[in-house]
Amino acid sequence: MAVVPGVLRVSLVDLRSARRAADSGDAAVSIAELVTRSQAGDQDAFTELYARFHKAVHAVIFSRVSGRDADDLVQDVFADAWAKLESLRDPAAFPGWIMRLARNRAVDQLRKAGPVREVPDVAVNPPPRAEARAALEALRSLPDTYRETLTMRLVEGLSGPEIAERTGMTPESVRVNLHRGFKMLRERLGGGR
Amino acid sequence: MNDYLYNKQGEDPEVAQLEELLGGYEHTAELRKPLPERRRGRAALYVVLAAAAAVAVALAWPRGESSQPVIADGDPPPPASRCVAGGDGFAFASQNGGVTCDGAAAESGVLPVDTWLETGADGSANLEIADIGSLTIFGDSRLRLVGTGQDEHRLELARGKVSAEVLAPPRLFVVDTPAATAVDLGCAYDLSVDEHDVTHLRVTSGAVSLERGERLVWVPAGSEVSARPGQGPGVPVSIDADAELRAAATKLEGGDASALPTLLARADDDDVGTLWNLLSRTEDEQRGLVAARLQELRPRPSSVAEQAVLAGEPRALEAWRDELESALFE
Repeated sequence: MAVVPGVLRVSLVDLRSARRAADSGDAAVSIAELVTRSQAGDQDAFTELYARFHKAVHAVIFSRVSGRDADDLVQDVFADAWAKLESLRDPAAFPGWIMRLARNRAVDQLRKAGPVREVPDVAVNPPPRAEARAALEALRSLPDTYRETLTMRLVEGLSGPEIAERTGMTPESVRVNLHRGFKMLRERLGGGR
Repeated sequence: MNDYLYNKQGEDPEVAQLEELLGGYEHTAELRKPLPERRRGRAALYVVLAAAAAVAVALAWPRGESSQPVIADGDPPPPASRCVAGGDGFAFASQNGGVTCDGAAAESGVLPVDTWLETGADGSANLEIADIGSLTIFGDSRLRLVGTGQDEHRLELARGKVSAEVLAPPRLFVVDTPAATAVDLGCAYDLSVDEHDVTHLRVTSGAVSLERGERLVWVPAGSEVSARPGQGPGVPVSIDADAELRAAATKLEGGDASALPTLLARADDDDVGTLWNLLSRTEDEQRGLVAARLQELRPRPSSVAEQAVLAGEPRALEAWRDELESALFE
């Protein structure tokens, strides 16, 4: 990539990135280690990666695609990730990498099948259906910026720090997105909750 | 910090109710096995196939199609456009006509690396930024894809205005302008370059780091800043800042320290971003005054020592900035 003259890289935010990597300590090292072992063919390590990331991947897909297709696509993403994992040069970049795989797969599905189908999503433990569907429709109507993080939080039950770890975003960015997105969600639900 | 939406600490009945409604859709399935077999050398095969496909497309692209300009007898055929759909780069689509890619009119296509996309005075376009967001390109703009990859997606805005909405890890998306570089930290913003090559940035969500050389300014949501050629970014101000505060900030950018008391007197809760950025632009007694005013509005974290702030230690300033960004939602 060509270097643009007169432009130098950051100092302050690089320090933040380095500190975040250090503070993450065991979690960040573990993800990279799991990836390295998976790259070497260790399926148990990859199963552990699935356990940590399947909810975040599902959120990325489910925020765009109906539930039944989403479940299949989650499996496709991880099958794809297993097949392509050796091409990932930096194991620590796995979170952002698998999020991109998930988005690409969801977008491809939308192009093939169109937006969310009429077939209703089936909740595992269904609450009152009409109200849940209304909430889900409102969630899916949000801009991409907010839709994914709110799906991770409200559907999958991930906390903000967990979302940050699984997506590669900073905790501050996650917090911004959650709050701004929730405000928009509240407005679309009529603010009556 | 009690922020139930973010860290599940404390209570928020509204959030809890939506969790109850939507939690039934959570994903619980196990990993499907067996996993597919990995084939050695697959990556190399993909490169060969892609190259072959590119050659096949180049040979098969018919001349004289409706998307090509009319060719008069004796004229050499125009070169095939590099902005064809299916190529490597960022997909774009005209929203209002008047769009050219690589010098040729284009309704849609793919913007390849090292290629300019331009909009006419009344034109506009949408550009997909890999899989992390999108860019709206307004009229009379000139934009180039500098590079795209796993670690960074980089554009150059030579003139005009764009509006970006990005959801990605920080520093993955970067836009160079003549006066400074906008580094996305997970946000939405408007960025423009005027006829004097002055860069204007307004952040509507999240935060952006605007940088040139060693000068780096933090621009949080609800703030705006300009960067001038040869000078780099100025002092960010709140979008709602009054004329007196803006004038004082402009004087401080020019090195007129006498404007500081006016700015401090007029600064309120909306101006904490301005004050934080001034910490690194001031020294000694002036920095002390800025720190004191910021402390009144948004106290620094208990983990940050006053002396460290007065000494301008990057980690201390960074920790206070993190607190400011989080406090926007309390």
